[in-house]
Amino acid sequence: MKVSLNWLSSLVDISGLSVEQIIDSVIKAGFEVEEVATLGYGTNLVVGKVIECHDHPDSDHLHVTKTDIGTEVLDIVCGAPNCREGLKVIVAQVGAKLMGGDIKASKIRGVASNGMLCSLLELNVKKEMLPENSPSHTGIEELGDEFEVGETDILKKLGYEDTILDLATYANRPDTISMYGMAKEIAAILDRPCKLPEFAGAANIGGPTKLTVNSESANCPHFLAKVVNSVKIKESPDWMKHHLISNGVKAINILVDISNYVMLETGQPMHFYDLRSNPNLNITVKDDMDVAYTALDGVEYNIQKGDMMITSDNQPIGIAGIMGGDNTKILDDTTGLIIECALFDYAQIRRTANRLGLQTEAAMRYAKGLDPLAQQKALDRAVQLLIEYADATGFEETVEYGKANYEPYTVSETLSHLNALIGKEYKMEEVVDVLRRLDFKPEVNGDEIISHIPSYRSTDIKIREDIDEEVVRLTDFNDLKTTLPYMKATVGKLTPRQALRRRIERMLVNASLNEVVNYTLVDQKYKDESLLPSGEAIALLSPLSDARKYLRTSLMNSLLENLAYNLDHSASDVNLFELSKIYTEGKVEERLGVLLYGNLEESKLLHQSVKADFYVLKGLIMEIFDRCGFDKARVQVTENTMDTVHYHPYQSCLVSIDRKFVGILGKIHPTYASKFKVKDVYYAEIMLDELDGLKAAKIKAPVLSKYPSISRDISIILKDEVKAEELLKVAKKAGGQLVKSVEVFDVYKGEHIEKGYKSVSISIVYENKEKTLKVEDIDVPHNKILEELNKHYGANQR
Amino acid sequence: MDDLKTLKDEALKAIEDVKDSKVLEELRVEYLSKKGKIQGLMAQMKNLEPSEKPKFGQLVNDLKSAVTEAIEAKKAQLDAEMLNAALENEKIDITLNAYNKQIGTLHPLTLVSRQIEDAFIGMGYQVAEGPEVELDLYNFEKANIPSSHPARDMQDSFYIDPVTLLRTHTTAIQMRVLEEQHDKLPIKLICPGKVYRRDDDDATHSHQFMQAEGLVVGEGITLADLKGTLQFMVDSLFGEGKQIRFRPSYFPFTEPSFEVDMTCHICGGKGCPTCKHTGWIEILGSGMVHPNVLEMAGIDSKKYTGFAFGLGLERVAMLKYGITDIRDLYTNDLRFLKGFKRFN
Repeated sequence: MKVSLNWLSSLVDISGLSVEQIIDSVIKAGFEVEEVATLGYGTNLVVGKVIECHDHPDSDHLHVTKTDIGTEVLDIVCGAPNCREGLKVIVAQVGAKLMGGDIKASKIRGVASNGMLCSLLELNVKKEMLPENSPSHTGIEELGDEFEVGETDILKKLGYEDTILDLATYANRPDTISMYGMAKEIAAILDRPCKLPEFAGAANIGGPTKLTVNSESANCPHFLAKVVNSVKIKESPDWMKHHLISNGVKAINILVDISNYVMLETGQPMHFYDLRSNPNLNITVKDDMDVAYTALDGVEYNIQKGDMMITSDNQPIGIAGIMGGDNTKILDDTTGLIIECALFDYAQIRRTANRLGLQTEAAMRYAKGLDPLAQQKALDRAVQLLIEYADATGFEETVEYGKANYEPYTVSETLSHLNALIGKEYKMEEVVDVLRRLDFKPEVNGDEIISHIPSYRSTDIKIREDIDEEVVRLTDFNDLKTTLPYMKATVGKLTPRQALRRRIERMLVNASLNEVVNYTLVDQKYKDESLLPSGEAIALLSPLSDARKYLRTSLMNSLLENLAYNLDHSASDVNLFELSKIYTEGKVEERLGVLLYGNLEESKLLHQSVKADFYVLKGLIMEIFDRCGFDKARVQVTENTMDTVHYHPYQSCLVSIDRKFVGILGKIHPTYASKFKVKDVYYAEIMLDELDGLKAAKIKAPVLSKYPSISRDISIILKDEVKAEELLKVAKKAGGQLVKSVEVFDVYKGEHIEKGYKSVSISIVYENKEKTLKVEDIDVPHNKILEELNKHYGANQR
Repeated sequence: MDDLKTLKDEALKAIEDVKDSKVLEELRVEYLSKKGKIQGLMAQMKNLEPSEKPKFGQLVNDLKSAVTEAIEAKKAQLDAEMLNAALENEKIDITLNAYNKQIGTLHPLTLVSRQIEDAFIGMGYQVAEGPEVELDLYNFEKANIPSSHPARDMQDSFYIDPVTLLRTHTTAIQMRVLEEQHDKLPIKLICPGKVYRRDDDDATHSHQFMQAEGLVVGEGITLADLKGTLQFMVDSLFGEGKQIRFRPSYFPFTEPSFEVDMTCHICGGKGCPTCKHTGWIEILGSGMVHPNVLEMAGIDSKKYTGFAFGLGLERVAMLKYGITDIRDLYTNDLRFLKGFKRFN
């Protein structure tokens, strides 16, 4: 809401207060000041008349003028195309301070220039504040005959000398989108008297009428209309023009200006129809039309069922609450009016305005809600102004459909409740003082205070806490003490899932991975090519763009995009992870995505590196599982039979814990990776819910054997397809109880080994917790292992 | 006897002059071996008077000890020199950074979230979560924002169907917990999470962002308690010594409602470009839980009161770490991510 201090000062006594004091007070009361604008600015300005104007000898566009300012005639060079002899102009004299800088005597291309002829734009007036046909848009301002040469009060006379506070208003305070509401609010804040113009009852005049008003829409509960048979179109008085300008509204003619001005004053949008366009004098609000309709901006709009239309004889004459119609608008030769002051449902106005993209001042005000008594107030004010400034006569009596929906009511609060809620010791006088300033007419009854809520505050003052807010808002309460809630002790802790997340995060960061956070909303291609989607993708009803249309159903593509981005930005090693929830139709999942590319660790000078491959990724995931309470014995790794579109068919696997599928990992299929212009990428996606659902082992201190263990190695030649896991299982089983661990420590293929075979070295550790092992003790199990391996695989010891 | 003296001087001089252990070993053989010069002196024994024999024997033994000692001392000296020479050979350039130990990073939003969670866990709060695909009921209705409420204009939303949307604020989590735990008061929770609004992405707007909200409901909770709690949070997030200031505001789910500013952490309140020369930085919204919200959750608003507050994690991260474009938080550029070298 733009508040002109000139206008405000005509309604509220703000004398003796600086702009800064006013701003400080409204901020404390909860208004955000979005902008403080000086409408027009410039010192040493004077009205001048161009008495001579010649072309500059050394320029194709400059003019050399002699300009009379009453006391003297100045030589001034001017570049404006409209500069000409006889023109009355604004002269900034030498020494004038303008926003753009100070005016000095100078020579412009060799010609003396002692001052500047000004455009209003150079005097800090914003473009949108200028009338459309203002010469200031393209040249210097051309002053009218009302200005005398030598006059200095130019900006004030033009209505451009003002300070405008742009205050942000809250959704619960539609009353502050009107000048009267704002004046009352600021008067309450400053505790200064507020005097609004008297006009109540002004519309209670007029003879019998044939006009009828009806509504077929439930969204129009109240409609006032009145015929005015004779009006005279004139220019509006200066004060009205100035107030319109300060709100960024163009002055057009007295009729249009009154309808706009009353809306600014009261917050109630109103509309004037040309009397000639409604000869049968009937008005019906309809909301079942399907029609193309041209509004007064000349644009054709597609009206659908639900949109409210004002009609006459079943023909639309305006889009209700948003914009009047082209066929019924005020013209230059208009001599009679029908005035409309109506209430429309804010939700419906919002829907229509949004759909049509027509965010007019009227629509904005309806969409935020109105003072329920504003229709009558606005009509009274309009009639008063029409009589005074548009020579209006021939009024007919007001026609009303429905009624204003407001019954006076009170809200009761107690001092003890207020103080208990705020944690402060307010005194009754302070509270009463605030409510008096607000015009709530407080009545005290012991501990109780009863407030009478004015109609314009009925949208937000409903319960006692609303009263408390007013008290806090309008008293200085930054001395409020700081305490902490006093209550029985509660234990702050993480849920198991939150703890699991933190555990995983920490391990991956320690393993040199970087966490990423990606957008949930993705495009169709991402969705269609998802890895193991947990269900049908969810689509938005009306996305901002096709790129953000679906909720992602897996994490893989986000991390691949991250990889591609970073490779494009000179990264060579990219190791990332993301933990995120995934939403599909009727289902929520949480997943962990881990991506490895290039080196996980590298020191060139030391000639050492850990290069990402299947085993590095698998090792990382297995370690995470182990550290989360699932040791290797509980983890099953099986061939990837699930997805060989995203994954390399021979370098990927499915991972289960206690036979429950928990994730997939391996090398990304080169064909799939190439869609992101990458290759040699390793990726794991782990289902956190599955992991969280399993029983994790508790931490137990390891029992150390008092007796030394013995280690023996075996190297055997095996067929290529024999898997390490099987081999170790056979060895462990054959070795029996003394075998503490069996591990593969070397695999060799190539020279000296027949094709289709491999040499595998395993290390077996024997241990007896009861006594010291002798070499002969392990001969039996060791031989048994060799025997069994031979039996199973025809494996020969090397 | 003079021979003994001569031999001793000769031996000790020779040992003294030795420069390497090989020559020292040769000297040892020359003097101390069975066929060495000292043993050779024993041959003279038979020519001596019996009375002189013990004395001579003693002198030879002394000589033997002296030479042995000298050789051992020399050997120790040479060994030490050799080791030193060897160590010197292993001299390295200690200024070289040959090993760049790699440790990864948590995302700055996670850093901020964890810091807030931990501060409140320490005060006995639970960390609550809820679905991002949320019912209109919890996102709006239960938060005192009915479908006709003008406040719905404030947060244009991504709807999935007429009753389901991507949550526009973590207030939805509060509404769920209030309903679930309405009979297990007091409630103390902090709820971080992703939220979504129909905003075009630019330097200060993101269609996806993170919030963390806090909620306390119990008997006798006051606005002063809210102020104390927020002061604690500001101290914990931005360091002690900042003041906070309440400005009246409007949120449908709290009454009264406040925006909260803290002393600018850059200039300490003197005024700088970060705080637009006001000395204050707006950091969060808060208020006393609206009685309608409590009642809708099945809590007696005459007996219980509560406070709630919420802040944007992007904003906190941007303020704390000097990030100027919100989109940097979602680009996942490693050069950016690797700057956040902290754990929380």
